[in-house]
Amino acid sequence: MKLRAKCLLVGDAAVGKSSLICSDGTLKNYSMTTGVELVVKCINIPETPHSVEFYIFDSAGKEALVDACEKLWGEPSLFCLVFDLTNEQSFVNCGRWLERIRRHCRGFRVPGVLLGNKSDLSGRREVQASVAKEWAQSQGLEYHETSAKEMDSSDAPLLSLARAYYSLYQEDCVAAKNLTLG
Amino acid sequence: MTDSSFSSLDAKVVLASSSDESHPPENIVDGNINTFWMSTGMFPQEFIIRFPEPTTISALTVDSYNVKKLKIEKNISQSASQFESVTEKEFESTEGHLQTNAISLNPGSATHLRFIITSGYDHFVSVHKVSIKK
Repeated sequence: MKLRAKCLLVGDAAVGKSSLICSDGTLKNYSMTTGVELVVKCINIPETPHSVEFYIFDSAGKEALVDACEKLWGEPSLFCLVFDLTNEQSFVNCGRWLERIRRHCRGFRVPGVLLGNKSDLSGRREVQASVAKEWAQSQGLEYHETSAKEMDSSDAPLLSLARAYYSLYQEDCVAAKNLTLG
Repeated sequence: MTDSSFSSLDAKVVLASSSDESHPPENIVDGNINTFWMSTGMFPQEFIIRFPEPTTISALTVDSYNVKKLKIEKNISQSASQFESVTEKEFESTEGHLQTNAISLNPGSATHLRFIITSGYDHFVSVHKVSIKK
């Protein structure tokens, strides 16, 4: 069985959102996403025959473009909030991004992950893992560190979202089985 | 609500936008509210029911869970295309029990009914039974 999820990918400009999901690893040249780009990615859930097809809405991070992009967000099922580990301001701004996302969630349970990106640039790190992790937990998000340069880590966040979404599906199936007459 | 004038369908689901083998679309027309079709994420979601012959329908009931907005279309063609709009409904949210909604239609004949769920009260919605009144 294949579940389908609309996943928002947001965060400040130039934190590396598009690099995380591009198919052939690191983008060689930076090109700013100026609208919302759709990328479809399928993630298998290990030890089950099931998968989640992600419709990833890669949304421009530049402040001037956010209002226009937000109109295209619709109703997300999942989200990835990305910041740059070498840029503290991009971490500070995550609170505002989260407020924006939550406005689109209509009271649904929408699993999300916080991603500290560019973990390969350890010498320039400005945000400590413990600080980011603590904030993520306080907001009910799972925390991951990624580097688009090291591809092996970049599927882990989507896998954790896929698992969370699958368990929501299972809960809803159980609820549907146990309904009483109206 | 149970009304003996509503009969189970002598009909088939010929298309559904989601398919979990454990909760297949056939469950919508098997007459049993304990079995259901489950949508597997995102909206809109739709399914199309085909009758063996043009059938006059004056009303139908839909038993579902977490469905918010539902559009119904029909046609009187042999193929599942060229639908005309019939009605649009917004169901109320029900916690822990089935949504049972009776929908009256302008009398008319149909060979296909198309149900489009454009939004829900949760990520996933279920449709347990559709029955019709001729």
